[in-house]
Amino acid sequence: MENNELIQNMVLELRRGIISIAVLNLLNREEYGYSLLKALSDQGLEVDQSTLYPLLRRLESQGLLQSDWRIVDEARPRRYYVISPQGREVLAQLKQEWAVISETMQKMLL
Amino acid sequence: MNLIEKYVAEVGKYLPRRNRADIEAEIRSTLEDMLDERTQAAGADREAAALELLKEYGPPRKVAESYGAVQYLIGPRLFPIFEMVLKIVAAVLLGVGLLGFGFNAVRMDMAGPALVTALGKLIYDSVGGVLMAFGNIVLVFAILERVLPLSDQKDLTDEWDPTDLAKEEDPDQVKTSDLVAEIVFTGIFLALFNLYPQYVGIVLFSDNQWTFVPVLTEAFSRYMPWINLLWVLQVGLDVWLLRKGMWDVTTRLINLALKLGSIAVAYVMLVGPAIVKIDADALAGTTLADLAVKLDPLSQFILVPFLIVMIVVPVVEIVQTAIHLFRRRPSAPVTIK
Repeated sequence: MENNELIQNMVLELRRGIISIAVLNLLNREEYGYSLLKALSDQGLEVDQSTLYPLLRRLESQGLLQSDWRIVDEARPRRYYVISPQGREVLAQLKQEWAVISETMQKMLL
Repeated sequence: MNLIEKYVAEVGKYLPRRNRADIEAEIRSTLEDMLDERTQAAGADREAAALELLKEYGPPRKVAESYGAVQYLIGPRLFPIFEMVLKIVAAVLLGVGLLGFGFNAVRMDMAGPALVTALGKLIYDSVGGVLMAFGNIVLVFAILERVLPLSDQKDLTDEWDPTDLAKEEDPDQVKTSDLVAEIVFTGIFLALFNLYPQYVGIVLFSDNQWTFVPVLTEAFSRYMPWINLLWVLQVGLDVWLLRKGMWDVTTRLINLALKLGSIAVAYVMLVGPAIVKIDADALAGTTLADLAVKLDPLSQFILVPFLIVMIVVPVVEIVQTAIHLFRRRPSAPVTIK
């Protein structure tokens, strides 16, 4: 396996872990799928739609998100997602965990 | 139907029915949002943009798979038992085939090319029957895959505790593999005796061809409703047990009643009119016609597996059930505080 491919796979693994935190955090404000994709991209986190939508379904089935289908401004029906009360609790814990991991890695890699 | 609709329908083909409409709606909504954004500029070619977008979005099957939509005909939890049952059936078919072939080779004093020809013809003639047997097994397992509750997979997701290995096995815990094997083999016997009774018999080689001689008599078919009732109830009990996961007094007593019923039916069949016989009419016109009387005792061998299924296995199970019922574990000791 080429180095480039190895690195790509490892970066994918790294990102997979943090996407859940990023999504939960962004969904403090209501978003539909495509607007969330763009919001993630605007923040510098490019996520593939084939990763995002299954993740949204999983987070919802775990009770961390809520969603409903709505028509806003006479546009087409869209599914709007927002973080649930349980999701807020989990996100708070995850943020703390992330701070510890980030600090540890910063020290280790210096 | 426009391109996006066709694409969504194609993804839907690979999605589980339960979530299909919901996932399809979400993909459609996203694709249309993406397409709108790309074609905002005046004069943009919407169809060309849709083509480009769908190419980027990925092959429909891959998109469906990202939703965890891989569907099994026979999933990983049942596959080891499926493999075991296939091997047993293959071994039985091979054994019966070789036994029949050996008997005929000796009877006809076959040697050299005649032996090879006869073997070749046997293999050729058996292909249909073997495929049919394997097909029925796959069908039964595919049904079980959809009937058995998902909780059966708990050992894959529960926390792994190595001390479980040292624990004494709970005698009331159902053994999934035993029950699944019983369901499959009962299903095979049900199919064989009801749909293909003409395939219960012996094969004889004569006039350079294999002749299959059915041995079940009219008397046998008269008992089929009773056999069917017992076997269907047995399958029902097994499925119920698989869903419950534990034996209790009720299921043990029902099992006991079914086994006693099996022995009673088998007894009535054996003392009544002959249930297996080589019919001389079936051999009329072949060089085997004069052998009908001589071969008749051979047909009685067919009774051996029947006796095992209807009497020996039930007797063993009755003894086991009786032991379980009389040696039920004492209730948990009361803790005195």
